[in-house]
Amino acid sequence: MAVYIDINRCIGCRSCEVACQRVHGGHGHINVHYVREYAAVPVLCHHCQEAGCTMVCFTGALYKEGERTAFDVEKCTGCGLCALACPFGVVWTDKIAHKCDLCQGREAGPACIATCPANALSDDFDLATRRARERTVRAAAVGGKR
Amino acid sequence: MIRVDTRVCLGCMSCSNVCPSQNITRSEIDGKRTVHWKRCKEECDLCVELCPAKALSLVPWDETVPETELSFDLVACKICGSPYATEPMLQRIESTLPAEMQKDARGLEWIRICPVCRRNVEAEGTARQVVLARSRKIA
Repeated sequence: MAVYIDINRCIGCRSCEVACQRVHGGHGHINVHYVREYAAVPVLCHHCQEAGCTMVCFTGALYKEGERTAFDVEKCTGCGLCALACPFGVVWTDKIAHKCDLCQGREAGPACIATCPANALSDDFDLATRRARERTVRAAAVGGKR
Repeated sequence: MIRVDTRVCLGCMSCSNVCPSQNITRSEIDGKRTVHWKRCKEECDLCVELCPAKALSLVPWDETVPETELSFDLVACKICGSPYATEPMLQRIESTLPAEMQKDARGLEWIRICPVCRRNVEAEGTARQVVLARSRKIA
């Protein structure tokens, strides 16, 4: 599981950033970027299947646990290699590494998903595609453009 | 006392972070990272154990040996030009990650780009989907 984005729905309100910071003691792991005037894009950990951060981590602080890229703070030395091995720039170090842990231990699941008022974030990989398909079908049924 | 193998040190932040006595200091000024190892009498080997390059070892106390200091010119990001990493650290990443991972789908060699620009590239790429979807709506 990871947090997936239906990018056409993001309204750029940054509620996800606040929710993430609240769960992680002020250190948020999701950032909403504004691309000129036309799009808001939440940028966060992809929980890569083959995760560069886990490959370079020499203490085993970053490791794959099922689909999740997990982090053991006890083992982290803050060396900074993981931050340089992340293609998306979403792992960083400030004495220790900081990255999305999918709100481990939070029963209701990731706080960003629960908070997003536009339902742009979900843990369902296919949701964005399914929505697009449904829109097309609905449009076809009423004979208009979607 | 800590001995530093200056040929293999990556210039990372591990030893300076884990030292419980602040005997290893790190500073970053003008695109340069400097790590300074004080003469240390502790019988502690945390830094030795937690060095990713195995560059450190403990040797008997010797007053005549000067304190070690290493400076690394930080590599400039290929997009924004800001200094962000030491060359040995980047080389370590390049030697660890499989070759097919070192370029993204558009052929961008992202390892030589700073994390800030990597996030911007990611945002730009995702934003293109929005533009595509909107242009379909207009058409």
